[in-house]
Amino acid sequence: MATRLLLINCYSALPKSENVRIHSDFMASPLSFTGFVWKNLMRRRLRTLLTLCGIGMAIGAFVGLVGFSRAFEQGWLRIYSSSGIDIAVIRQTFLNTSVDESVGAKLNALPVVAQAVPTIYNVMDLTPEVNALAYGWIADSFEFQSLKLLSGQPFRDGHAEVMLGDLLADDLKKKSGDTMEIQGTPFKVVAIYHGGSGLEAGAVIMPLDQLQQLSSMQGKVSTFHVRLRPAPPGETAEQYMKSAQAQIQAALPGLRAVPAAERASNNQFVRMAQASAWGTSFIALLIGILGIANTMAMSVFERTREIGILRALGWKQRQVLVLIQLEAVVLGLGGGFVGIALGWCALHVLALLPQTASVVSSSFNLELSAEALGIAVLAGLTAGALPAWRGARLSPVEALRHD
Amino acid sequence: MTNPVLEVRSLHKSYDEGSIEALRGVDLSISAGEYIAITGSSGSGKSTLLHMLGGLDTPTSGEVLFRNSRLGSGIDLDTYRARKVGFIFQAFHLMPTLRAVENVQVPMLAFNRPGVDRAARAVELLGEMDLKNRAGQYPNQLSAGERQRVAVARALANDPEILLADEPTGNLDSVNSARIMEILIGLQKQRGMTLIVVTHEREIAQAAPRLIRMRDGKIEA
Repeated sequence: MATRLLLINCYSALPKSENVRIHSDFMASPLSFTGFVWKNLMRRRLRTLLTLCGIGMAIGAFVGLVGFSRAFEQGWLRIYSSSGIDIAVIRQTFLNTSVDESVGAKLNALPVVAQAVPTIYNVMDLTPEVNALAYGWIADSFEFQSLKLLSGQPFRDGHAEVMLGDLLADDLKKKSGDTMEIQGTPFKVVAIYHGGSGLEAGAVIMPLDQLQQLSSMQGKVSTFHVRLRPAPPGETAEQYMKSAQAQIQAALPGLRAVPAAERASNNQFVRMAQASAWGTSFIALLIGILGIANTMAMSVFERTREIGILRALGWKQRQVLVLIQLEAVVLGLGGGFVGIALGWCALHVLALLPQTASVVSSSFNLELSAEALGIAVLAGLTAGALPAWRGARLSPVEALRHD
Repeated sequence: MTNPVLEVRSLHKSYDEGSIEALRGVDLSISAGEYIAITGSSGSGKSTLLHMLGGLDTPTSGEVLFRNSRLGSGIDLDTYRARKVGFIFQAFHLMPTLRAVENVQVPMLAFNRPGVDRAARAVELLGEMDLKNRAGQYPNQLSAGERQRVAVARALANDPEILLADEPTGNLDSVNSARIMEILIGLQKQRGMTLIVVTHEREIAQAAPRLIRMRDGKIEA
C-alpha cells in the first residue's frame, strides 16, 4: 500500500561512482515479526527446502494413507446404506470370529426383524497377482438390491458359481459364461455386476455354502445382516434402533447387534486399514519432526550471536522463543501444504491403478486436509520447542561472545 | 555530582566459580548527559563493567542503579535494555539477512509500535547518519564505516537515555573512526544523552571530559 511505504529517492545526492551500488527507488517497508521469520528461513534456502520436503513427505504419507483408509471406510458405509442393512449381528471378540449359521432362525423369528441374512466376507487370492474381497451370500439375500446386473443371471445356492464386480472382471479379463479357478475349484462366472461401492465393484460374490467350503467355515458365518421392520408410529429412528439392538442381544446372548453405520467404520478390515495408516503416518511424522528439530537446532546454534544481539536490543526471552517457534511452525505449515499436494497426487495415482482403483477415492477431502495442516503445525511446534527454549534462555553476554 | 543516571556500588563479577575475578569492587556514579571514556588494558574489566551498566550481565555482588532503581529488581533488564540504553559494538553486529533500514527497526519490534512508524523512524535515523541512500542495502553491501553508522542508528531507535559503545572504532580506519566519534559526541551534546565509550585508543580516551582507567577489575585512582 502506497501510504504504508516510504519512498527514498537517492540518485541525485550521490556521486556517479556510487550509483551502481544503490537502488534508484527503494521502498522502505516496515519490518514485521513474520517478515523477520521469513528472512531467517530464506537464509539457508536449501536446508529450508530439504526440511520442507521431509515434513512434506511425512504429511503426504498421512494424507495418502489416512485418505486411503477413510475411502475404504466410506466404501463399507456405502455397501451398508445401499443394501438397506440396519444392523449387523456379530461376535467380535477376535479378528475373524464367526457366528453359528443356526442363529439365523432365531433372528428371523424376532418381531423387529424383517429379514436377517447370513454373510461371509474374506480376502482371497484369485490369481498370484490379484486378490479381492470375497462375499458369501444366500441367493435370496436382500443385499442383491444394491447391485446392478450388467450381464448374466444371479448365482444359485449350492452351485459352483460366482458373480464378479465389473472392476474385478476387467482386471481378470472375465465375462459372463467364463470359468475361473478359485483355490483349485472351477467356478462358472454367471454374472457381471456394478456395485455402488468400489468394495463391491472390485469383489467376487459366491453362494454362502461355496465360500463356507473354501474357507473351512461349514455351519459358520461372519455376520448376519438385519433389515428391521418399519419403526412404529411415535418412536424415533434412534429409539427404535436402540430397542431393536436390545431385543436382539437379549435373544442371542454373547452376540452384539451393531448399527450398520457403526459397523461400517468399525469392522476388522477398516480397523486394520486405520491402524496401519496411522501407524505408518506416525513413523513418517516422527521422522519429519526430527528433521525440523534438527534444522531449528542448527539454526539456533548458528545464530547464537544474533540471539544475543536481539536480547541486547531489548527483546524479551518470550519474544525470542516466539520467533524461533514461529520459524518452526512456518516450516511445519509449509511442509503441510507440500504434503497435502503430495498426498492427493498419490491418491490420484492409486485411483488410476487397477489394483487399488476399487477402494481409493481421489476426491479432495477438506476435513482430512485440515487435519493434515493441524498435525503439521503441531509437528512444527513440537520440533521447535526445545531449540526455542534453549535459544530464549541464552545469556545475552554469553551469546554475544559466541563465535 | 548531581542527578546521577547510573550508580555502581561495590560491583563484583567473577567467572568459573570465582577463579576469575573480572570486577573487584567498582564504585561509580555517572551523571545524566555525561560523556565518559573507559580505558584499560585487555582483561582489565572495562567491557565487563560496560555489560553490567547495560544490563547485559548480572553482578556476582554489588548493584547497578538506574535513576535509583536497581537493575534486575527495580527495573526489568529487558525493559531497561530496550528503552533506556542503546548498544554499539566493535563488530557492528548487524543482522545479515536484513537491509539497513530493517536492521534499524529490530529494536522497535520489541514493542507494539505501528509498522509505518517503525519504518519512518528508521528512515529518519538513517537520514541523520547520512545513510538514506543506503537504506536498502544489506550489511555485506556496506562499508565498515557505513555499517557502524547503521549500528548507531539502530542504537537510537527507541530514544535511549544512555549510549554504550564498546570499542566503536575498533574495526574502522582513522577517517571513519573520527566520523563515528563525531556522530556520538554530537548526539551526546545535542540530545543530552549519556555517552559511555570503552576504548583502547588514546586519542578518543583523552578527548573525553571524564576518563576512567580500569586495571585488574578496579578503577584506578
